[in-house]
Amino acid sequence: MPRRTRPRGHDDRRSQRRKDVLHEASGHRANDFRCAGCRLDVSLHAPGTAHRNHCPQCLASLHVDRRIPGDRASECRGRMEAVAVFTRPDGEWMIVHQCLSCGELSSNRIAGDDNALALVRLALRPLHDTDRASRTLINL
Amino acid sequence: MSNTANTLKIHTFTCAWCGLTATKTASDGSLRNHCPSCLHSQHVSDHVEGGPSECDGRMSPIAIAVLRTGDWMLIHRCVRCDELTSNPVCADDNQLILMRMAVRPLAQPPFPLEALGSL
Ligand SMILES: [Zn+2]
Ligand SMILES: [Zn+2]
Ligand SMILES: [Zn+2]
Ligand SMILES: [Zn+2]
Repeated sequence: MPRRTRPRGHDDRRSQRRKDVLHEASGHRANDFRCAGCRLDVSLHAPGTAHRNHCPQCLASLHVDRRIPGDRASECRGRMEAVAVFTRPDGEWMIVHQCLSCGELSSNRIAGDDNALALVRLALRPLHDTDRASRTLINL
Repeated sequence: MSNTANTLKIHTFTCAWCGLTATKTASDGSLRNHCPSCLHSQHVSDHVEGGPSECDGRMSPIAIAVLRTGDWMLIHRCVRCDELTSNPVCADDNQLILMRMAVRPLAQPPFPLEALGSL
């Protein structure tokens, strides 16, 4: 239950701890985003990651970062499409995103609630084109 | 075609990673950006700012992306600065490494694949 009278200092401290606010279960709509790919309303809270950067349903993202993940220094704002997955040495799956506007690439960790079918479809893409895959196997 | 040392220098490069000497153009006439044997490349151009990069780090092949045309693109990541690039796969690129890269995520899925039922 929220207290009716809060000491001022408490409010000030809370407003500076942005991460705690994002992770609160109070459902602030301001912290959500609408996916540019499938229009799903997505909460920024993602299990297993500190910061969600792609839609858990269609895996699309937005081009907001420039050099460092999370720097939000890019002005492109183009839609980023998931184009590949790869495995880090520790076994974790990573998604490669490519911006549809400027072609820039980025790699991002998968989240615990990412659509498993969408992830596997993405991973199967190189093997899906049976011509290409079988030609490659024959050439081995 | 003459085989003098000079011609070799103009038409070939030596892979900084595995030491292979390869032609600068692939058999289909396209310009190579990576070694056909180990598929490694070098970070020589800046993709965020444009123009040349001073990084010069080794770029290792990490993933295959498929274009709408069905063509394979090779995704490289610079081991020094983490920059990513995407370049067409050449006809004579090492097929074993390409195939290993394509199947590796499926060999280490983050969830049991049986749980998905029919794909
Ligand atoms: Zn979406
Ligand atoms: Zn962009
Ligand atoms: Zn090489
Ligand atoms: Zn680099």
